[in-house]
Amino acid sequence: MAFKTIDLNMGPQHPSTHGVLRLRLAVDNELVLRVEPVLGYLHRGMEKLWESQTYVQAVPLTDRLDYLASLSNNLAYILAVEKLMGLEVPKRAQYIRVILAELQRLASHLAWLGFMANDIGAMSVLLYGFEAREGVLDVFEAYSGGRLTVHGMRIGGVPFDLDERVIGLVRRALDEIPRKVADIEGLLSQNRIWLHRTEGIGVLSAADAVAYGVTGPALRASGVAWDIRRDVPYSSYGDFDFAVPVFGHGDVYDRYLVRVEEIRQSLRIAGQALENLPPGDFRARVPRVLKIPPGEIFHSIEAPKGELGFYIRSDGSDKPERVKMRSPSFLNLQALELMCKENLFSDVVGILGSLDVVLGEVDK
Amino acid sequence: MTAHPLVVDFLIPVLKIAAVILYPLVMVIVMIWMERRVVALIQGRLGPNRVGFEGILQPAADAFKLFFKEDIIPRQADRFLFNLSPVLVLVSSLLAFCFIPLGESFRIKGYTLTLWVAESPVGLLLVLGLSSIGVFGIIFGGWASNSKYPLMGALRSVVQILSYEIPLGMTVLTVIFFSRSIDLVAIVNHQKDARIWFGFLLPVSFVVFWISGIAETNRAPFDLPEAESELVAGYHTEYSGMKFAFFYIAEYAHMVLVSSLVVILFFGGWLPPFPNVAALAFLHRIPGFLWYLAKIMFFLYLYVWIRATLPRYRFDALIKLAWKWLIPLSALNLVAVAVLRYVL
Amino acid sequence: MTGLARFLKKFFLVDILRGLLITLRYYFSPKVTIQYPERVRELPPRYKGLLRLHLDAKGEPLCIACLACQRICPTHCFDIAGERVPQRKTLWPVRYDWKLERCTFCGLCVEICPTSAIRFSPEFRMTLLEKDKVRFHYPDMYLEGEELQKHLCGGCLE
Repeated sequence: MAFKTIDLNMGPQHPSTHGVLRLRLAVDNELVLRVEPVLGYLHRGMEKLWESQTYVQAVPLTDRLDYLASLSNNLAYILAVEKLMGLEVPKRAQYIRVILAELQRLASHLAWLGFMANDIGAMSVLLYGFEAREGVLDVFEAYSGGRLTVHGMRIGGVPFDLDERVIGLVRRALDEIPRKVADIEGLLSQNRIWLHRTEGIGVLSAADAVAYGVTGPALRASGVAWDIRRDVPYSSYGDFDFAVPVFGHGDVYDRYLVRVEEIRQSLRIAGQALENLPPGDFRARVPRVLKIPPGEIFHSIEAPKGELGFYIRSDGSDKPERVKMRSPSFLNLQALELMCKENLFSDVVGILGSLDVVLGEVDK
Repeated sequence: MTAHPLVVDFLIPVLKIAAVILYPLVMVIVMIWMERRVVALIQGRLGPNRVGFEGILQPAADAFKLFFKEDIIPRQADRFLFNLSPVLVLVSSLLAFCFIPLGESFRIKGYTLTLWVAESPVGLLLVLGLSSIGVFGIIFGGWASNSKYPLMGALRSVVQILSYEIPLGMTVLTVIFFSRSIDLVAIVNHQKDARIWFGFLLPVSFVVFWISGIAETNRAPFDLPEAESELVAGYHTEYSGMKFAFFYIAEYAHMVLVSSLVVILFFGGWLPPFPNVAALAFLHRIPGFLWYLAKIMFFLYLYVWIRATLPRYRFDALIKLAWKWLIPLSALNLVAVAVLRYVL
Repeated sequence: MTGLARFLKKFFLVDILRGLLITLRYYFSPKVTIQYPERVRELPPRYKGLLRLHLDAKGEPLCIACLACQRICPTHCFDIAGERVPQRKTLWPVRYDWKLERCTFCGLCVEICPTSAIRFSPEFRMTLLEKDKVRFHYPDMYLEGEELQKHLCGGCLE
């Protein structure tokens, strides 16, 4: 049996592909030569569906794109629609959106941390990460009733105001998450086995990252200091004081460090937004039948996975003519082959994990 | 009055043979339960607690399920080797238990009952040798499956086991410098006379032996050949039903064997702790067998604790760890101990 | 950190011991899971359970068959028809078919209903034993609690 070049298939059913992703690998003994992702196993025709749904009806569908960070999808779509309409959203609603979006970033990064560590073998971190995430999900459940597909934002604002119960749960989450993250870091950040599995693996240079359209934590880990929240602020992000972590090596370890630091910064932002909540309306008045005059817009936000953007073209009716979504995971996945080259195939799992790919977003 | 010859020559050996098969199997059952409970408790959840009292019947439920699974043999597989390998792996783990002493011998009615099946002046060598036969089972399993993933997994397992046999052997040598015998009973007795356990006298040896022991049994953090989330699924991919159960049991039996060796070689076997402290003399009234069990349970717990905590080593680093770190370290340790032993 | 300190930390497995102590602490900490079904977690008031119709104080349906929920539902779960009745000015619902298998629990219908006739309930036990039970008809929309469970799957085993 010759082992020269084997074609391996990490099939759509695999514990580590974070969804139904199929990877076709060509391997020379241990080194990876080629990686070809085969997509489409979760394609649901979202972009076509949106053409037959009104702008309001489309929002619950966006929940199901990146299902680990549903509020970010809501926010991206709603901001694009509002910009197209030229709608002014009240300040209180913007702050509440920031709190929800940052909590969602926490939830997404904690889930990512758990899955990544589990793929590398540290099985307890999965449970610790999810236990921390429960605090955030309790907030969403008390706020809008949903834990995973939250639908917690509406065109014009947010559906509910923050009441005592929700604020109490937010404070509790903001208190408990740093402790859990400190434990997880104690288990991983200086652990020699973790360092051995992640340092120097899957290196992506800054030039390559920009060329391939990689955005989000992977871009910042490669040394490019670009964060839409800071550089093109939306929804009052300019009012908050936060740092954007940037590291230089572009390996798996740096991507891990970027996301852990982002967890800390999200806690800061959410805390600041909660303390400085302005009074006022939490929802702007929007006509019952929402018709938008012809025009087109592209607007993107910094979702936990990267730059999430919506292109919407309206034709004057209550349904959009065309909606196109720029999903960060889809573009980040392009760089997978580049990162896996010259690495052992045991590392493919780690590299894929560090990219934080969610198939709902990739396949739409 | 001596005991009846029928009892001495027939009944007691038969009971001992039954014990040497049942003891590891019972320990395996306890181990399966303990692994699932301890890993769960570390993760903030409870683990199996509905099947029987606190889930103690869960391994029985698992065995029941595996018993009824369809026994699939791949069409292109080499049938003889395919069927032989689980047996080889299990038998090699169980056979070695013949030489493991479980406690001090005691007299009943003029007959000295020994808590081991056989005592051999080369007991340690026999134990290490018998447990190494399991390697053949792994190779046969991977080869006979006639599929590239199990074969690669089997080759990696074998390389791992062979590489870690070397520091295992070298650290054992340091113990032998002090005990001057490779009879397991004599090693324990020597620790009794020396009034200090070799684990405290030779800590480096103990740690290297323990790490090698974990690698020998393909346990985390050295379990890449059989890890679920990796590409290559290991030598037992193609096995189902009872054959898979054999591999499973054999792995746990091997863990119990390694724990037994650690306890006997480094932690006094059946001896109670603190023999020099007069106030704790009541400890000596507890039978040695129970001390031995308690110590084994601690090391089995350590196995599970380590598995729940640490990430997995990649295969090349695993082998590098053995050849670049453990083998030179154990060689240095050997020389240092030899020099110190004969100089001091 | 000096080279010697780093070497000693590596040799004495400090990072691994630190991780082991963290997991040991979790081993002795109280567990976060509860034993379902003996204990059920308390649900917040806005929890999105099964959709239910409600009656007003006089026992008459709050639903006025305005079809707002039917129009706004993104997945077309509703099939509603109303008719004129002498006792009130608004329509009386005669057909109210709801497809559970299509519902995404988005809450748009609850938001838009002018009389707050349709609301979420805390019911999350939606096991069915027969496929046709997934389609709710007008009287089924008022069932709650144990009666609902009997309708769906024959009731809970106690």
